[in-house]
Amino acid sequence: MTTTIDAAGIWKSGRGKGRSTPKGRQVDDSALADIRDLLGERPRRRDLLIEHLHLVQDAYGHLSAAHLRALAEEMKLSQAEVYEVATFYAHFDVIAEDQSPPPALTIRVCDSLSCELAGAQQLLAGLKSGLNAADVRVVRAPCMGRCDTAPVLEIGHNHIDHANLELVQQAIAKKDLHAHVPAYEAYAAYVENGGYNTLASLRKGASAVDEIQDKVLSSGLRGLGGAGFPSGRKWSFVRAEQGPRFLAVNGDEGEPGTFKDRYYLERTPHLFLEGMLIAAWAVDADKCYIYMRDEYPAVLQILRDEIAALENAGIVDAGFIDLRRGAGAYICGEESAMIESIEGKRGIPRHRPPFVAQKGIFDQPTLVHNVETLHWVARVCREGPELLNSVQKNGRTGLRSYSVSGRVNNPGVHVLPAGSTIVDIIDAAGGMLDGHVFKAYQPGGPSAGLLPASINDVPMDFDTLQEHGSFIGSAAIVILSDKDSAKAAALNMLRFFEDESCGQCTPCRVGCEKAVKLMETERWDKPLLEELCTVMADASICGLGQAAPNPIRLTIKHFADEV
Amino acid sequence: METVTFTLDGVSVTAPKNQSLWEIAKREGTAIPHLCHKDAIAYRSDGNCRACMVQIEGERTLAASCIRFPVEGMVVSTQDERSVTARKLVIEMLVADQPEQSQARDRSSHFWDMAKMQDVSVSRFPPIEPTRVPQPDLTHLAMGVNLDACIHCNLCVRACREVQVNDVIGMSGRGHDARITFDFDDSMGQSTCVACGECVQACPTGALMPATVLNESGNGDSKAFDREVESVCPYCGVGCQLSFKVKDEKIIWVDGIEGPSNENRLCVKGRFGFDYIAHPHRLKTPLIRREDAPAKGLDVDPANPWTHFREASWDEALAAAADGMSRLRDDSGKRVAGFGSAKCSNEEAYLFQKLIRQGFSHNNVDHCTRLCHASSVAALMENVGSGAVTATFNEIENADVAIVIGANPTENHPVAATYFKQFSKRGGKLIVMDPRGQGLKRHASHMLQFRPGTDVALLNGIMQVIVEEHLYNEDYIRDYTENWEAMKSHLAEFPVAKMAALCGIDESMLRDVARTFAGAKAAMIFWGMGVSQHIHGTDNSRCLISLALMCGQVGHPGSGLHPLRGQNNVQGASDAGLIPMFLPDYQSVAEEGVRTAFNDIWGTDNIDDEKGLTVVEIMDAIYAGDIRGLYVLGENPAMSDPDVDHARAALAKLEHLVVQDIFLTETANYADVILPSSAWAEKTGTVTNTNRQVQMGRPAVSPPGDAREDWWITVQLARHLGLDWSYQHPREVFAEMKLSMHSLDNITWDRLEQTAVTYPSLAEDDPGQAIVFGDGYPRAGGRARFTPANIRSPAELPDDQYPLILITGRQLEHWHTGSMTRRATVLDWAEPEANASLHPKTLRKLGIRAGDMLSIETRRGSIDTMARADRAVSEDMVFVPFAFVEAAANTLTNPKLDPDGKIPEFKFAACRVLAPDRSSVDPAA
Repeated sequence: MTTTIDAAGIWKSGRGKGRSTPKGRQVDDSALADIRDLLGERPRRRDLLIEHLHLVQDAYGHLSAAHLRALAEEMKLSQAEVYEVATFYAHFDVIAEDQSPPPALTIRVCDSLSCELAGAQQLLAGLKSGLNAADVRVVRAPCMGRCDTAPVLEIGHNHIDHANLELVQQAIAKKDLHAHVPAYEAYAAYVENGGYNTLASLRKGASAVDEIQDKVLSSGLRGLGGAGFPSGRKWSFVRAEQGPRFLAVNGDEGEPGTFKDRYYLERTPHLFLEGMLIAAWAVDADKCYIYMRDEYPAVLQILRDEIAALENAGIVDAGFIDLRRGAGAYICGEESAMIESIEGKRGIPRHRPPFVAQKGIFDQPTLVHNVETLHWVARVCREGPELLNSVQKNGRTGLRSYSVSGRVNNPGVHVLPAGSTIVDIIDAAGGMLDGHVFKAYQPGGPSAGLLPASINDVPMDFDTLQEHGSFIGSAAIVILSDKDSAKAAALNMLRFFEDESCGQCTPCRVGCEKAVKLMETERWDKPLLEELCTVMADASICGLGQAAPNPIRLTIKHFADEV
Repeated sequence: METVTFTLDGVSVTAPKNQSLWEIAKREGTAIPHLCHKDAIAYRSDGNCRACMVQIEGERTLAASCIRFPVEGMVVSTQDERSVTARKLVIEMLVADQPEQSQARDRSSHFWDMAKMQDVSVSRFPPIEPTRVPQPDLTHLAMGVNLDACIHCNLCVRACREVQVNDVIGMSGRGHDARITFDFDDSMGQSTCVACGECVQACPTGALMPATVLNESGNGDSKAFDREVESVCPYCGVGCQLSFKVKDEKIIWVDGIEGPSNENRLCVKGRFGFDYIAHPHRLKTPLIRREDAPAKGLDVDPANPWTHFREASWDEALAAAADGMSRLRDDSGKRVAGFGSAKCSNEEAYLFQKLIRQGFSHNNVDHCTRLCHASSVAALMENVGSGAVTATFNEIENADVAIVIGANPTENHPVAATYFKQFSKRGGKLIVMDPRGQGLKRHASHMLQFRPGTDVALLNGIMQVIVEEHLYNEDYIRDYTENWEAMKSHLAEFPVAKMAALCGIDESMLRDVARTFAGAKAAMIFWGMGVSQHIHGTDNSRCLISLALMCGQVGHPGSGLHPLRGQNNVQGASDAGLIPMFLPDYQSVAEEGVRTAFNDIWGTDNIDDEKGLTVVEIMDAIYAGDIRGLYVLGENPAMSDPDVDHARAALAKLEHLVVQDIFLTETANYADVILPSSAWAEKTGTVTNTNRQVQMGRPAVSPPGDAREDWWITVQLARHLGLDWSYQHPREVFAEMKLSMHSLDNITWDRLEQTAVTYPSLAEDDPGQAIVFGDGYPRAGGRARFTPANIRSPAELPDDQYPLILITGRQLEHWHTGSMTRRATVLDWAEPEANASLHPKTLRKLGIRAGDMLSIETRRGSIDTMARADRAVSEDMVFVPFAFVEAAANTLTNPKLDPDGKIPEFKFAACRVLAPDRSSVDPAA
């Protein structure tokens, strides 16, 4: 049947050169089956991408190219969309076809300022030499929110406080690799103590939204994530927008030195949850998203259990509270980056305007609150605005939860009047460690830079530190002593920013990287650094890049002899 | 448009509130530097580079002017020291990590322009560590990837994801080590990149460059060309406008420009498939078959035709060509036929049909539309009164629902597909109906992978749901249609449950599609050859027309019927009368008044009143000995006709075959005279795309050797045939066309020199009507018609002997029979080998490994080709592209014709596949 044709007319043959498949990586059947098993009945919505990546990472210890390809197929996403998300977050290990997966066990050693002061580098080096790299991977990591027990590390999902090689070896031997959930006030106990009565009465119409909003406003409560925006006022912005509206809780407590949210969540999670539900009621939110950082596995467990308890009790419908797990990215503490992450994307801050109150999650009006803020919302609604506005000190009103670490005797969360000075705070924290002389302090995380001990009479509150080129932020106080180098501390802070910059805008992405290089020199090129600081502060998209120069500028100003 | 008044650099300015500060400043004459903002349509401003910062009074930080919009009373300054310093420092920061300008990837890049504008040439900042600098990626033949020049502006990501929606490029990682990556950080050449080159056109630094612009060290200069020539792409019916960059009389690269259909976009063929015109196989001199040549067959090496042909002068060749035809003309009237070309200009198509009709007094003239959309046109003419699209594909911008059926636009109309994908990204419901899980599947809201050949069952089922659930548009049906009652009662015989079983799609899905389509505010239907190339192709189209009509989805924005036309000028060639039953503008040869009018214009009296034969009928008549002479211009029936062994045997029987082409095609193997013509990039003429947009093609370079423009050759041939033709320029031909073609009213050559015009154009300043039939149809009573369709099986169903279904078609990189694209370096590199796609499971059952050779047999013939494992193909199907001469798919195809459209059934044949050991394996076993 085949016509014989003279070869001369067949002028072309690419025999052996062609592709045996369509272009690019093909789906592997068994990997696709794995992914379908893992995902089960879960929706394949794009906003769940990070959740799904966690499923794979948890199950296999890494994200193989075959699994990622299959996940893209299953979620109708492109490979690029999956890959860029998977590689943005530090807690995902993307492994190409020609790479070996990491060892089954990973140790993350915190190298942020408090841990650095407590010897994180020596710990890291000791672990690397003392453990078999084939069995255990040891990597550096940013703040884990346990600065009061520095140095800390996470082995598997078990955090070891005051860590050393011996404790690590014990944990490995005992296979003690999972999060330790501390004792906390669970649902039953909370209800027994009158919990959720406030919410129930509000839902029944006991008070109008405006009344509650006024109550919160009059308490003086301000956003405790660090921005300090009056909490009640946010509600009216969101309420003014056309629904559906969402509430998002920023539980990405990543500002180094901060651990107050974890403190509250590991003790009284329902105060926070009730506060959240009150705020959701106030803005008539269709859904609450809790974005919780992956560095707090115990908190994640607590919330999973207690949200289930709320659903069982009929306080919320199933699915009304959507708990989302971060994946290791400081930038997701920036509210719009968090929203991007909730949508399953890279945590890239959005431009303002529009503000998230107008266009937040899925471009819908979104009320964003910090965890601690909601804790106080619940308490103010129950106990009255006097809880906060009756506390007066040094002309300031209210209470602050200071996360105190560094060279003090009793590091930890200290709830003090908002008018407390650094001296009051050091006193509350048991004074300086023996042999250490107070030299400098980080007043509100690295974004707030470094102040000298000489500035010791300023109330550590919102608005009071501006004139000193700093701010209180999340009230993450790290105390440095005469044994510590301000220059090294500033470099530690900028290295952190370089690592955590999302990379979106030039001033922050390039600026942090160039700043670190300039700061690694013996003597700083101060004029050039100052120019760099100016462009970073003026032209960066979000607070990370805008505040990153603070440690540089304050070090130049107050510790000029070191640089 | 709402405006606001604000202060810009001390001057009060009023501007639309949705115009960015950057745009307003530009309007006011202030150029603000910009890197990540691309001042081009479809590019969202991203505000990430911070090179365009300005100061807004009362704001703590500076603002990126490309993403900030004015509000009443705002006070903006662009020239204050703070803004100027910030902008300059941003550039200086980036310069720190760039190769020096003398070593730039693109020394004339936009980036360096911006640096120069601000007097920055060096940086005081320390460079990044060498270990953190990305290495070059030279794995793609068309594009060089040198990310050492990348400034993270993400324009390439937006180009790939938001403009072309190919979704290959991403920004992976984080911080300064974030990186542009392809797929999973694959090399570009190994990735899913389809090489549309949008990223290259968008990149402001030269990090992504056309490979042809880079030297061996990866340095280049994007302004190093002698001239730019604006023209139209020579490939598909989308009709993208492009700019040829010419250096030393060679096209060195191509950019997309802002044509109405493409808005700067191109695909791999248009952007990188241009160098075929410089291939050594180009015909540079007329050829005459040697007297001692062997018997005709597919046996000529295009690299060395001298075994069969000898050089001739134009005079000799034209005389030989004309003599052979006139000898046959003298025998009996209808011994000669002509195949014109949908690849040439409108003017050339017009001249070609005029030559046959005037020179031979009959209508045996046709072209490849017969093999593409003849059935669609038949159905449209019958029911709508016009064969062209009722709306441009770009109208999808205004739609909320769209059906794409039997079309694979990501491969065959890639730039049109970008608009479809954008539509889906915007939230439009994209309903894809195709037996193959093709490229649009990922973007589809509804994917209906129905059984091949069951189109009518599928569509009748959907329409029956619309009737049953009273979802139809009664007002529209009453005001604009006829035969509805008959249609309704006809559909009653096609209950959806039964149709669902026939087409293999769940009833619930059919109902959902019916409700979605009928519930649309504005809906469009796009179709391709999966619909038309069946023996029931006309019925398939009738169903699509009925579906649109019953929902009133024709004639208003975002609605319409759009058969995606294949060739760059198939619309224009059809309009120009390259069809056996119609004179130009679809005026029937059977109507005396029409003939009289044309006879008057042409100064003749011999236009025949009998419809001519169609392509396949002509080949049959040649085989039967009735037709003995053939003039083929730019067509390749020895590859493109169904049952191509039969077609080749027919060609071998011809007494006289004249082939006019740029290469010695498979058809030219059988020629007696070969006339070397110009490629599209070498000629002047107009073309009409799938959108009815008439556009001007301009020569970028001269034809090689003695090759001549096609219109010139046809004119000379006409004169040798004794016709009194004296055209000196295509513009004169165009002027004559306007005398008989009302579609060209208000469209003049001079206008087309300035801009594209869509027909119909209602006035000299009307850019043309994107949507037609809003006020009725060009049919009696102004009404469109419902023509019911019955279910018919494909002509050849699978059986025990031939258990698989063969579907033929195209692949992204190859055009039609491959004569151009297999000679284009990049396209040949990307898809070098003949292949057949089967599902991996089918291959496993057959015991064939992907990449191995396999043999495909039908009742017509067999081919050997490479097996490609492709999950998009269903398990009982084999897909074979028809561009490869070494495994010509049309050896296999069934020549059975649709009774109305006379189009063969390229999309369905029964076949079997044999493993390499040549024993047939039953995949069902």
